[in-house]
Amino acid sequence: MTVARDAAPLREPGDPMTGPDPVAPAIWEEVELTEEDQELRKKLIRVWGDGPGLWGWIRSTSHASIGKRYVVTAFIFFLLGGLEAGMMRLQLSRPENSFLGPDRYNQIFTMHGTTMMFLFAVPVMVAMGLYLVPLMVGAREVAFSRLNAYGYWVYLIGGLFIYTQFFLNTGPDTGWFAYVPLSGPEFSPGKRVDTWAQMITFTEIAALAGATEIVITAFKHRAPGMSLNRIPLFVWAMITTSFMIIFAMPAVATGSQFLAADRLIDTHFFNHAEGGDALLWQHLFWFFGHPEVYIIFMPALGIISSIVPTFTRRPIFGYPVMVMALITTGFMSFGLWVHHMFATPIPQLGQSFFTAASTMIAIPTGVQIFCWIATIWAGRPRFATPLLFVLGFFFTFIIGGLSGVMIASVAFDQQAHDTYFIVAHLHYVLLGGAVMPLFGGFYYWFPKFTGRLMNERMGKWNFWLFFIGVNVTFFPMHILGLEGMTRRIYTYLPETGWGPLNALVSGGAVLIVASVALFIFNFFRSLRHGAVAGDNPWGADTLEWATASPPEPYVFLYPPVVQSRNPLWTEGRERPVFTGLRTDIRDTLVTTTLDATPDYRQNSPNPTAWPFIAALATGVMFISAIFTAWGLVVGSVLLFFPLVKWGWPDRHDQSVRYSGRGEIVEK
Amino acid sequence: MKRYKAVGDVSELPSVVFGKRAITWWGTLMFMFIEGMTVAVCAASYLYIRKNFHDWPPPPTPLPSLLIPTIGVITMLVSIVVMRRVQKAAEALDKPAVTTGLVVMALLGMALVALRFFDFRSLNTHWDTDAYGSTAWASVAFHSTLLFFEAIETTVFAVLALVGPWEMKHFSDAEDNAMYWYFMCGIWIPVYVLLFILPRWL
Repeated sequence: MTVARDAAPLREPGDPMTGPDPVAPAIWEEVELTEEDQELRKKLIRVWGDGPGLWGWIRSTSHASIGKRYVVTAFIFFLLGGLEAGMMRLQLSRPENSFLGPDRYNQIFTMHGTTMMFLFAVPVMVAMGLYLVPLMVGAREVAFSRLNAYGYWVYLIGGLFIYTQFFLNTGPDTGWFAYVPLSGPEFSPGKRVDTWAQMITFTEIAALAGATEIVITAFKHRAPGMSLNRIPLFVWAMITTSFMIIFAMPAVATGSQFLAADRLIDTHFFNHAEGGDALLWQHLFWFFGHPEVYIIFMPALGIISSIVPTFTRRPIFGYPVMVMALITTGFMSFGLWVHHMFATPIPQLGQSFFTAASTMIAIPTGVQIFCWIATIWAGRPRFATPLLFVLGFFFTFIIGGLSGVMIASVAFDQQAHDTYFIVAHLHYVLLGGAVMPLFGGFYYWFPKFTGRLMNERMGKWNFWLFFIGVNVTFFPMHILGLEGMTRRIYTYLPETGWGPLNALVSGGAVLIVASVALFIFNFFRSLRHGAVAGDNPWGADTLEWATASPPEPYVFLYPPVVQSRNPLWTEGRERPVFTGLRTDIRDTLVTTTLDATPDYRQNSPNPTAWPFIAALATGVMFISAIFTAWGLVVGSVLLFFPLVKWGWPDRHDQSVRYSGRGEIVEK
Repeated sequence: MKRYKAVGDVSELPSVVFGKRAITWWGTLMFMFIEGMTVAVCAASYLYIRKNFHDWPPPPTPLPSLLIPTIGVITMLVSIVVMRRVQKAAEALDKPAVTTGLVVMALLGMALVALRFFDFRSLNTHWDTDAYGSTAWASVAFHSTLLFFEAIETTVFAVLALVGPWEMKHFSDAEDNAMYWYFMCGIWIPVYVLLFILPRWL
């Protein structure tokens, strides 16, 4: 059964989201558990639950626990990055200010960019994926849940490491893309850049681990019936993003190892005197760095595609085109990296090619925007906070996209390069394109994460303060850039005339701070006092809303069966499920990649502390490696035992034993 | 209120499968993408640096030696044939043959690690000589991490087969391990050609 594209809106005005609902349809009803179901529930909680206390917390491999702590950790880094931005805005609010000196300022802008890109934006999107993808595809757990735990711990250690170094005045100070030769051994002695390079390694490992799990969960753990053309768009966005991570991150991981080697063991990758090449660094960095922008942005597109149908009460317009647009964007994002290097001597043919490619990538994004507008147009929009953030995205992101098309042109880029025009552009795209949808996503899925709704009134204030704040902060930066104000200067003279606009920009930043503070207040207040949500408070269509809020450890009592692209809107009064998974071990269902027909049962591993211990060993390896290359050897030895223990079968946990040639004994 | 309605039962489905049906096969494939990409980045850096030199290898660095690396490549090709037999045995759930095969493979892996030590010497340059030396060493070094970890993994599997609690799923894991072994050997061949043979003409 599929929903026709022009199906009538599923809800009449006056639904529970705007007031009492006269005819509550089946969508809002929760499943009533029979006695048999209750028995099963008790058994499954025993099998799937995390152990108690701190030890249970460390051992946990549950995607929901790890996903939540991943999101919270990334958000704390967002606040730290925001604090750094606030300090920069304070310093620049008037000419010849002396709040920060040049050295401190260098560290702070580097930490701001590094934190926001590597410790907040990518991890938070991966984290949302790790939490939501299994729920949306109807799986009990991600594939390779122990790898998931390892990825989180490695990320946390990397983040703590760079911040410890920062507080010890060894924070990196060469910008978030650490261009050589400035970041090389000659111009940046000491350990500051090494800290940066090694933090990259930590976060890349974490991102690659997350990406692998997301792809395989989405390919192999889908609910029966969820063929490729029924996968929720958020999941498609995460699949594409994960593949981009897999193909982009190795470039920067290798590049940062080259940089570390140049600094530690006198290699000459980037040393011109010995035949090395500074532009090699730029190529390696931006071959990752440009897809990176889309790695941050594409999950946000997925979030929007989840919010829009729910709040307009109609299936998304143009689903196949949306999927094609996501995949096209993923491919094209690998053909743009040189537009970051227009100010370097690259061949003219290259300039033309990358200009054309950079302009062209606006097409698939434009297609998606038109599809969303069509969905809203044909639906019955209800302007709750999540949808407001989506509308804010349209406005802000389109401005950022247009300035992007401008700087795709080499002639213009050479004027604007390294000025505040670029700062304005990238913040419009990232705040508008990723952070606004992310906030919308927080409001949207908060009830799923916690079981309670966030306060709507504060949410609206949150949105408007953020929306106005972002535009007041970043729009004037375009003008400052055109007036010649360059990036990364810690102060400027009154004669430049940049004072008033900078004061305005800093004033805008205050609004953003107020908005985020309000969000945090709303978050904590709603955790305790928010309205109880129930399974599906928004009347949404995807499978995550078929679970309890917050989901039980086993997530789905039975593997759900999907019969349309909008399963919860079409299921009626009976929820189709498959039975027969084992109840004494962590049994999960694996389906075929294309059509999602049930294929085999996979035993998901029990919780264990070995991924945590392996992450600690990884930490020792990389951190000691900034002092001596022997650190890698010592670290590998330390890593050996936990890795073996991680995969070694647990004698208490033998689900399927081998008992001689060809015989299988199930315990 | 809604109810659950059972529309099918999965209790008869197998719990161990082989090849691309298995999630471990997909996991292995993803790691092959990641590591293949990294090898490609190393090779691209090597070629990118080429334009900064008039002669390749830059004098006075001599051409890389061929003998040991070629022995290494031949050993790899032999190991692929042996690994193929291990894979077949795993698919047939033939535990004794898998055990013997894994022990042989572990020994071959150690031999390859030992040969790799001499591969570095055969480059006839050092990582800190010039950018040629740096990129050539990096390419061999990165592949060595793959070789090293695959040799260790195979050894651990061999030990598991000898002493450990061998479960059904380990047949499937042994099969995926074979796939990774082919990848590890297969991707070395272009690196070998690039680093040891092509400098004669580049």
